[in-house]
Amino acid sequence: MTTSLFLFSLIAVVLVLLLAWAIRPAKRQLVSVDDVLDALSERRHYARLPQILQSLRPEDPDYLHSRGQDQLAVRLRRERKRIALRYLNDLSDEYHLLLEASRILARVAPEVSAMDEFARLRSNLRFTLYCRYLRWRLWLGLQPWDAFGILSDMEGEMTLQLEMASSRLGEQAAVSPGSRYP
Amino acid sequence: MLPLLALRNVFWALSTILEVVLLLFLVRRHLHRAVPAFFAYVVLVILQSAVVASSFAFFGASSEPAFRIAWGSQAVIVVARWFAVMEIAKKTLAQYTGIWAFTSRLLILVTALMLLYSIGFSGSRMSLLILNAHRSVELCIAGLIVAIFVFVRYYRVPVNPLQRTLAVGFCLYSSFSVINDSLYEKWRLAVGSLWNYLDMLTFIASLILWIQAVRAYSVSQEQIGPAALPSDTYGELSRKLNSRLDLLNQRLERFFRSQDLRS
Repeated sequence: MTTSLFLFSLIAVVLVLLLAWAIRPAKRQLVSVDDVLDALSERRHYARLPQILQSLRPEDPDYLHSRGQDQLAVRLRRERKRIALRYLNDLSDEYHLLLEASRILARVAPEVSAMDEFARLRSNLRFTLYCRYLRWRLWLGLQPWDAFGILSDMEGEMTLQLEMASSRLGEQAAVSPGSRYP
Repeated sequence: MLPLLALRNVFWALSTILEVVLLLFLVRRHLHRAVPAFFAYVVLVILQSAVVASSFAFFGASSEPAFRIAWGSQAVIVVARWFAVMEIAKKTLAQYTGIWAFTSRLLILVTALMLLYSIGFSGSRMSLLILNAHRSVELCIAGLIVAIFVFVRYYRVPVNPLQRTLAVGFCLYSSFSVINDSLYEKWRLAVGSLWNYLDMLTFIASLILWIQAVRAYSVSQEQIGPAALPSDTYGELSRKLNSRLDLLNQRLERFFRSQDLRS
């Protein structure tokens, strides 16, 4: 009896809290397909990433250490951490923009593929976990400099794909009755 | 105990007055056509108050016929509430045909799970059967409303303030009913009158919320339905977006693995 009382009361409280969370205003709200297309076509920070990565080569702090400039080397490392965190934030922003686009797409679609929606939910969970984990590692000073080499290689592809995706979306919106989207 | 009973009667009268006020506002704002299931629910609640009060006066509050009438009418009210909630769900999501087709299946699953869970945790005493059934249905209604609003938030669907407030009122009342029923199940003799008192108090709170929402209602709150996107266009764009999301995940995963190798 006590277990039942506790469990049912707990569920009821959780439901009320969930409702309070669900009805609070969203932080950021893109309201139309056009807004999403505009946001997708905005110039990305990644376009300048190769230059930033170039400046983050390990040779630089090594050289500074060898010249006895330890303070400067520490400062350089701190700056790298800041840049890595900013990169993660940009990646996260792009991800959320795509999720936003998918939601708006679902809103205007006559039928929504359950598999696609679940796939997006799964991707979202994975991305959130990875992003959080990496952020913690960076904060704890576990420096992922080697990984930036990989990211640098991927950056060009990412920018290209993003531009292609946004132009395709733009074409689709132009041939569909886009001006009437909500 | 007498003051508590007197207070209960005061609350009973107050809730009936508020129900009538709500009904008048609904008619005045012509909302009986916009939200017919909710309107029918309010009418039935008023009728229930009248029927139960008459049965208490005629048979006595503790008599078997009065008990049957009170719980029998409560079953009708719960069904009416269910229809009112479904009306809100449909009005909120049905204009987005794709989302509605997807979410309606999930909503059925959520309510079925809620029902199974509450039946599984219900006691086997016959005397508590009605109470358990009532709690199960209230839990389903609260779960259904929360699920609707989680979808609404996820898909950024604009919600009419009236429908939102009606749903919040239903959810709060149903959630507190679940707690109230659970308290009664545990300490039924000790909280007998208090149970009724708390139930009416939470219902009065919901009525005040609804009256405020109906008073503040204006025709401009009504949303214009979205334009449709051809299904093949959706399919193509959906796949592209999913592959973009996967690509971003893969990048992050490689970033993640490269750190593991290093550490």
